[in-house]
Amino acid sequence: MDTLVARYSRPGAFQNERHIEDGQDDLNDDTTPSLSLKFALPPVAQPSAWLRSATDDRSNPHCPIKIAHGTTTLAFRFQGGIIVATDSRATAGNWIASQTVKKVIEINNCLLGTMAGGAADCQYWLAWLGMQCRLHELRHKRRISVAAASKVLANLVYQYKGMGLSMGTMCAGVTKEEGPALYYIDSDGTRLSGNLFCVGSGQTFAYGVLDAEYKYDLSVEEALELGSRSILAATHRDAYSGGFINLYHVKEEGWVKHGFSDTNPIFWNTKLEKGEFTNVTSSFAEDEQAGNRV
Amino acid sequence: MAMFSQNPVLDGPNYSFAEAPQVRADGFREHRFNPYTDNGGTTVAIAGDGFAMMAGDTRSTSGYSINTRFAPKVFKIGGSTSSQEDANILLSVVGFAADGEALKERLDAICKMYRYRHGKPMTVNACAKRLSTILYQKRFFPYYVYAILGGLDEENKGAVYSYDPVGSYEREQCRAGGAAASLIMPFLDNQVNFKNQYIPGSGVGHALQERERTPLPRSDVEVLVKDAFDSAVERHIEVGDALQVMIITKDGIEEKILPLKKD
Amino acid sequence: MDHRPQAWGRPRDDVYGAYDASYMQTNNGPTQHTQQPIVTGTSVVAIKFKDGVVIAADNLASYGSLARFTDVKRLRKFAGTSVVGFGGDVSDMQYLDRHLTELSIDEAYKSDPGHSLNARNLHKYLSKLMYHRRSKFDPLWNSLLVAGLDDDQKPFLAATDLLGTTFTSPSLATGFGSVLAQPIMRRYAPDEESAAQLTQEKAVEVIKECMKVLFYRDARSMDKYSIAVITKDGVDLKENEKLENQSWAFADRIKGYGTQTV
Repeated sequence: MDTLVARYSRPGAFQNERHIEDGQDDLNDDTTPSLSLKFALPPVAQPSAWLRSATDDRSNPHCPIKIAHGTTTLAFRFQGGIIVATDSRATAGNWIASQTVKKVIEINNCLLGTMAGGAADCQYWLAWLGMQCRLHELRHKRRISVAAASKVLANLVYQYKGMGLSMGTMCAGVTKEEGPALYYIDSDGTRLSGNLFCVGSGQTFAYGVLDAEYKYDLSVEEALELGSRSILAATHRDAYSGGFINLYHVKEEGWVKHGFSDTNPIFWNTKLEKGEFTNVTSSFAEDEQAGNRV
Repeated sequence: MAMFSQNPVLDGPNYSFAEAPQVRADGFREHRFNPYTDNGGTTVAIAGDGFAMMAGDTRSTSGYSINTRFAPKVFKIGGSTSSQEDANILLSVVGFAADGEALKERLDAICKMYRYRHGKPMTVNACAKRLSTILYQKRFFPYYVYAILGGLDEENKGAVYSYDPVGSYEREQCRAGGAAASLIMPFLDNQVNFKNQYIPGSGVGHALQERERTPLPRSDVEVLVKDAFDSAVERHIEVGDALQVMIITKDGIEEKILPLKKD
Repeated sequence: MDHRPQAWGRPRDDVYGAYDASYMQTNNGPTQHTQQPIVTGTSVVAIKFKDGVVIAADNLASYGSLARFTDVKRLRKFAGTSVVGFGGDVSDMQYLDRHLTELSIDEAYKSDPGHSLNARNLHKYLSKLMYHRRSKFDPLWNSLLVAGLDDDQKPFLAATDLLGTTFTSPSLATGFGSVLAQPIMRRYAPDEESAAQLTQEKAVEVIKECMKVLFYRDARSMDKYSIAVITKDGVDLKENEKLENQSWAFADRIKGYGTQTV
């Protein structure tokens, strides 16, 4: 059919009905990389304004296309490396699109990226970053530094500034030259190195807990607990965060995963066994346990 | 409908020069034209042990009117011929039907080309990644489509991948998409992932143990899907007419059409 | 990017400018756009029967509420095997007609003798064309019905519109026909099985009834119409039919509009 279509698409001199589907050329071209930088654009004067009108669910709750959003992610440096922790909720408007999103993206065995903002933007560009990092390894016969990797990503998103990308990401990794290194990159093109970042709609709640307890000299157990506790606080107070706590520890040898755990039992453990979250009345909790669950 | 009965003289801007479609220097035309519509409908996909089931209703709507009572939403992908007899992947699309059709044909063409070049069908997880990049290629002019991909993974376990319109994706046990997703998904959470189900008498309060998650047998899933759609038809105007069910197992793909209420 | 918790990750007005709602109108009719159809044709109706398809459309092209051109044929034959019925903008219809004529001539020269594009091929082509134009934001402002036979010589009827949306059904109608004529036709052909029972005479009768109802209630319609019957034997197209046996007795019973009080 396609050949038929192509054959009959340009019939007369006065009728210029070009009909080759843009992007269909990826069938014929073996050399096109699968993560290419070619994107279809709407044929209007202001593509970004048009895209925003179709996808910005905050300005227009009735916009047709709702992109998965909303998050709490954090990462901090301490004496034992870097802790990376995230929630796992994705929202599209008020709809919880998923409670099981993997927001820590394993770029390679020493480098992690976190995902906040547009889920597709983060997934796609961090996968692309993984490809760039591997190419760097092959070209230079050594691993890319976290500084360089984060800069590759920052430069890339800066090229697309104003087009409507939405990502707030952190790159965490350890290399011999740098030690544990942590960078924040967002879709405005900002790239910052630092010891401690929280990103996403629940960032303020996570900062509240993290800043109060954070010390560089934290032991590994304390650091993991603090990361988890900060995300827990954010999932409790931010409606757009929730689901599971995804916890990673980046060490010199590479990263280690410390579980993908449901917030609900963690919350009740934290409340009932450690006596925190006293804002939630325990009598109500006990009534519920006694009345409904048994 | 209004498009055929308006009065260009009295009704809004028309052919005056100031309002004429502008052609900018870069050749882009400027129209206020909404290229999207929603054709309604709902899809469900559930992965089991050794099978994956994809289902969708067959109603297609424009606003309050029904275009047709039979417009399938679940497609076989990547067979070596157009009859798709040896297809190994299922795709369901819901949202804007024309975008869905374009997406389906594009993915199918890519899978066929892969099969032709490599002499073997694409695996489901490769196809899932490819679909993600196809959707993302249109990041700035998205396909208005909620896609779900289903098949069997390398261990013959059922695999379901769900997508947002711009290509973020995730492998899941089950997913509902489209108009009645918000009605069906909570039901699936409870019945497939056993959310909020606990083992009776296993403790008090937070010591209560969650019911262990196991993949459902095929007979249960078939009943579950039919029940989910029957319920959705009761409460959503854009869902109804007939239910198209496709089940993929190692023996191939079976297709069934079951009746739904037509009101 | 907005860093306030409620708006996190969304575009900021000072970067992107204020949200422009005019791009996305959620209403269904494409009335409020700067580009719009000027001279328009109203409904097209069609129904399948056991040996083929009947399709009809009136001969009016309206300029807004003005019945401007009263002799515009909106059913076009294609390659002697299929008929396309056009609703919507008449200039876009004429463009498509030129385009299709050329296509059929090309086809007649190039393809093997005795093998020409059938209605299914034509519909696929037209829907790709419509979708392509909508993707260029330069739509052909039409709703089309394609009637004919498919690869197995079975009746084929399908629709496509300015967005490239496609669907098939035992009976189809565009414009006002989708609310006025579809219910009548669905009574006779609710599904493919019933359509396969329908005789040609009955199908023609149903279509004529639909044209009559449309004339009663659609203010942009006319009593002169074209009707085509497509079967294996070819296309029987009549372009100057008049509505017969009209009865306006029902008009007497209508009350409650405008200044009428009795």
